[in-house]
Amino acid sequence: MDIEPSDFIVGLLMLVFGIVGLILASGAMDDEMYVFGLSLFGFATVFEFGLLRRHFDKAEARRHG
Amino acid sequence: MADVGIGVLRPAPEYNEAIVKKFLIASVFWGVVAFLVGVYIATELTWPSFNLGLSFINFGRLRPVHTSAAIFAFGGCALFATSFHVVQRTCRARLFGGEALANFVFWGYQFFIVMAALSYVMGFSQSQEYAEPEWHIDLWLTVVWVCYAIIFIGTLMKREEPHIYVANWFYLAFILTVAVLHIGNNIDIPISVFSAKSYPVAAGVQNAMIQWWYGHNAVGFFLTAGFLGMMYYFIPKAANRPVYSYRLSVVHFWSLIFLYIWAGPHHLHWTALPDWTQTLGMAFSVMLWMPSWGGMINGLMTLSGAWDKLRTDPSLRFSVTAVGFYGMSTFEGPVMSVRDVNALSHYTDWTIGHVHSGALGWVAFISFGAIYYLVPVLWKRSSLYSTRLVAWHYWIATLGIVFYITSMWVAGIMEGLMWRAYDQFGFLQYSFAESVVAVHPYFVIRLLGGLMFLSGALLMVFNLIMTVRSSSTERAIAPQLAAVAAGE
Repeated sequence: MDIEPSDFIVGLLMLVFGIVGLILASGAMDDEMYVFGLSLFGFATVFEFGLLRRHFDKAEARRHG
Repeated sequence: MADVGIGVLRPAPEYNEAIVKKFLIASVFWGVVAFLVGVYIATELTWPSFNLGLSFINFGRLRPVHTSAAIFAFGGCALFATSFHVVQRTCRARLFGGEALANFVFWGYQFFIVMAALSYVMGFSQSQEYAEPEWHIDLWLTVVWVCYAIIFIGTLMKREEPHIYVANWFYLAFILTVAVLHIGNNIDIPISVFSAKSYPVAAGVQNAMIQWWYGHNAVGFFLTAGFLGMMYYFIPKAANRPVYSYRLSVVHFWSLIFLYIWAGPHHLHWTALPDWTQTLGMAFSVMLWMPSWGGMINGLMTLSGAWDKLRTDPSLRFSVTAVGFYGMSTFEGPVMSVRDVNALSHYTDWTIGHVHSGALGWVAFISFGAIYYLVPVLWKRSSLYSTRLVAWHYWIATLGIVFYITSMWVAGIMEGLMWRAYDQFGFLQYSFAESVVAVHPYFVIRLLGGLMFLSGALLMVFNLIMTVRSSSTERAIAPQLAAVAAGE
């Protein structure tokens, strides 16, 4: 598969952020850190799906273009 | 860099305009949020019962929501949008780092804004002005900002134009200095990696000095240098004239960035900060008159031979009035930094008036000018939906600013005079509560000014939506292109 380096690096970065978010939420000592950790996990997950969607949209456009 | 032959036409690369559009929409959205919250907290100050007894909407928690929304969300997104547009166009290069990195900067920045606002209303704050977010949000912003710097610097490095246009110098100074300021002012130790609470490494007056080194240079580099980049690109473009003096713009740049960085101590006059440091801050603030007014003259004189456009192009009127406000607030600032003036003005509403003449008159107006210019360009429309609505926006907003700043001047000077007044026996003549009662009418006028500014922004939103959607702003297709489109 033809993956752009930028997509790959940002995708890896998001993976790390998502895991960090889960760890922060799991050990949170206050509401703020709990909300932040879960939100970071959610942000990273949605961003990953966005990367996937854009990748396959582009691949499809190439096939039909 | 590729050699460029004179007279050879090269096709422009495919610019990343999607990211510019996203930041532009975000800027308009956050602008309305910032003005709305501002109006609400102005209402709370006028009639405190509007707190409604709810902790998360009291003034102390909503005030940083307002300032962060105005500076970092509205102003920040406008800077991201315009810097990405300008660097691509003036370098003839698509943004460095690919689509994914640019999208990360966009969504990562929006995430920062939402998380910061949420933490304020939940009661978490470092209690440092314009640097309220706690350590974990600061770290997140650092990551996003470094990616922004990589994109911007990378684009400059792969440019196809030999020269780096002066607007990019200002944007670069803004990006690099804000990074240094943000990191320098947020060296904190969290009480636990799982807790949002942290404490700064520096304490006492050292902490205050670092905070105002940051705070004043946030004004100098976020709210001034970045928006000067906007001025140096969009005023010449809208006026269709070259910059009045390119040499002056370079002198403006170097003198501004050298002088601004020393001016922070003027925020700490008459405190435990050593006298020599206060004097240093005051002296450098007064010296700042020179580059500030040099830049203002350069911006205004760019219209030489094109002043008539102010009659027909109300969006250019926004940009030019912004430069006027820039000159006015950068005159007022050094005056207020003089220690004896500061003895009267500090802690009063005069400061609030000063800040808003800069924030509304300079930052918001130069952004409105750029937004009105960019929307038809980016969405490929022939023109704005209604220039008459732009004119209405301009006059309502201008009048709103006038109401705001004049009421705050009067209120502030009155507060300063009341607080220092003594009676014949040497007692303070007025209690603090009496000064609060005295400024009440001016708070009402300020609220009216804010409401007018908000109304103008809502007119802009309607106008921009119609510009994008209305069939009346569609670009006419040339006959040959129309024939091709029709398959002839």
